Amino acid sequence: MAFIVLLAVVAAGCGGGDSSSSPGTTATPVAAPCPKAWKAGWQRLADDVGAPVYCPSWMPPEIDANIDGRFRNGRWVSADKSYLVSFVWLDQDAGVSREVHVNFRGYPGKTAIPTCESTHTVKGKTIRKPIPCFSDPQPQKRRLGDITATVYTANQGIDEWHVLYAWQRDGSLYTASEHVISPYSYSKVVENLDRMTKGLVMLQPSA
Amino acid sequence: MGLTRRRLLGTAAAGALAAAGIYELVDQLAGSPDRTSAGPLGPEQHLLDGLSVVVDEGVEVVVPPLHHEVVTAKLRTGTGVAELRAAQAELEAALRGLDKRYEATPAGLGVTVAWGLPYFRRYVAGQARRHLPVDTRATATRGEPVRALEDSIRFPSDPPETILEENDVAVLLRSDSLDSIADGSEALFDELDGMLRVTSIRRGFIGGGFEGARSLPKRMAMAAGVPGADLIPETAELFLGFTSSQKAGLGPTRIANFETLGYVDLRGSAYFAQGTHMHVSHLFENLEAWYLNFDHRERVDTTFRPGLDVPVQTLTVPQGPDDVQTPADVSANYAETRRIGHSGSIQPSSRLIEDVKGPDGTLYAKGTAIPQRADFNTLDNPFFWTANPDGDRFSRDPAAGLHFVVFNPSSDDFRRNRMAMDGVLPDGTVLPFEPRSRGQGFNAVLQTTHRQNFLVPPRVHRSFPLAELKA
Repeated sequence: MAFIVLLAVVAAGCGGGDSSSSPGTTATPVAAPCPKAWKAGWQRLADDVGAPVYCPSWMPPEIDANIDGRFRNGRWVSADKSYLVSFVWLDQDAGVSREVHVNFRGYPGKTAIPTCESTHTVKGKTIRKPIPCFSDPQPQKRRLGDITATVYTANQGIDEWHVLYAWQRDGSLYTASEHVISPYSYSKVVENLDRMTKGLVMLQPSA
Repeated sequence: MGLTRRRLLGTAAAGALAAAGIYELVDQLAGSPDRTSAGPLGPEQHLLDGLSVVVDEGVEVVVPPLHHEVVTAKLRTGTGVAELRAAQAELEAALRGLDKRYEATPAGLGVTVAWGLPYFRRYVAGQARRHLPVDTRATATRGEPVRALEDSIRFPSDPPETILEENDVAVLLRSDSLDSIADGSEALFDELDGMLRVTSIRRGFIGGGFEGARSLPKRMAMAAGVPGADLIPETAELFLGFTSSQKAGLGPTRIANFETLGYVDLRGSAYFAQGTHMHVSHLFENLEAWYLNFDHRERVDTTFRPGLDVPVQTLTVPQGPDDVQTPADVSANYAETRRIGHSGSIQPSSRLIEDVKGPDGTLYAKGTAIPQRADFNTLDNPFFWTANPDGDRFSRDPAAGLHFVVFNPSSDDFRRNRMAMDGVLPDGTVLPFEPRSRGQGFNAVLQTTHRQNFLVPPRVHRSFPLAELKA
């Protein structure tokens, strides 16, 4: 019998440093609005970081983007107002794991790819090295509505094994990523990310 | 009523030999490379003439045959002298038929017949004791006589379920034409009048992409829909991305022959001169793990050597004599990064540490590669066809993998290279790695399913070697 486990994951601490937010003002044309049940949580996030955030209007089957809902995997806001919101659904049946895991990030006022630390331990010795959190940009960018996203395929921390879309908006970097794991192949994840990214709705912080 | 082919091989094996399956796409997806014609047929079975060389990213790259097939079998022939000699004559006749029809080139058909220890033990044990070459280097190292042909072993990074096979014979067929492979395979096995029981058929492909077009492995993986296919670089020669058939990374001419480097004692007989050793293994490649967990920088570090400076997205990396790592280099890399490069770690054992002049007068310079690889990507899972689906854990679902075929002067020479890949260097240094740890790069995403060593006799003794000496 299948059972569902909601996974609590500690987010990898990527990026850092002080920054000032610079709220964007451009309206984002979208086909669908941010669903009412999800909007409150994303609006609170925009208010907390003092910068625009993107609320999804579509999520892959099995999960939703209700920050206060049962698929919430975590919501973290750093001192520099960069944020990470993560959703996960995990199913284990007869030894077969299936997972849907989506992360959204924002780095208000920053556009540089953040730096992560690789840790590699062999026989008790740990080697630490700074590395980009998002690597292997693919040559073809994705044009999705008014977002032009770079696709990164080798990513770190909580985005490891994820395909990650990154784009800039009004001096800030935003990302959306999804884990490549059953039931979603790489091509299906790209399809999901295309649809998710195209349906993102920008929310401004409350006055 | 005479035996039909289906009765000889069994309906399933005969059907599988005739069927191309997904590999039929290779002919549709790839044009044949330009090739030169062959010279006279050489004494070595394992050497192909007419291989072309292109320059890719400033590096000379050998263009291997597009199609490969390995057929393994156990013998049905009795062990009596008369029966054995009849079988020897029949197989030789079938092989000569192919020699007449095809040049031993990629444009024609390369056929290599190799024999496993089960054959030598069961059919020609006495003759093998007297004539099988002895590996003098391994004998000195281990303090006991070691033959050039040994049973394969599981290596430290092999999973415990790796199957050590016991086939009597393996036939390697190589060509740019799938039809030529099929024709050769069918003609050969048609004429082996009930002497063989085919145990497996293994197929695959390599190449393309050097002209900037989408490569064959990329196309095949995409067509098969294997996980991670989308992540393979467009022009990759092999699934894992990097060009593998660089001229400087492949052993030249007769370097892998038993007699060339002096590793092997032919025991006062020329019987196996111009022969060599062949290792055959199959391994699965986890492409998603390779491309989603290792960025290009880390793929370069663990494929070649940590810190190697190459432009982003480079796939063809120079591997000439000046790029060779020593055991001290590999150890220093490990101390600093807890990583070793696949190629770099093997080079201390796979490259000549000094100049060597072969018995034919050829000078092989320090740094020259010794192994002559004939590996190829596959979608077999783990084989195209097997006589033992349960034992071989066969599935019809395509899976990204590699049939690793390599010619070395001896089993021990291959063993040294493969151990180095696991951090056991030829100077005795052991770099401690957990099996398939990330610091070993390739090994972290490979899973070996089968292994076996074979002896490749010279062409003149390719059919049932030593059988004519049996009284």
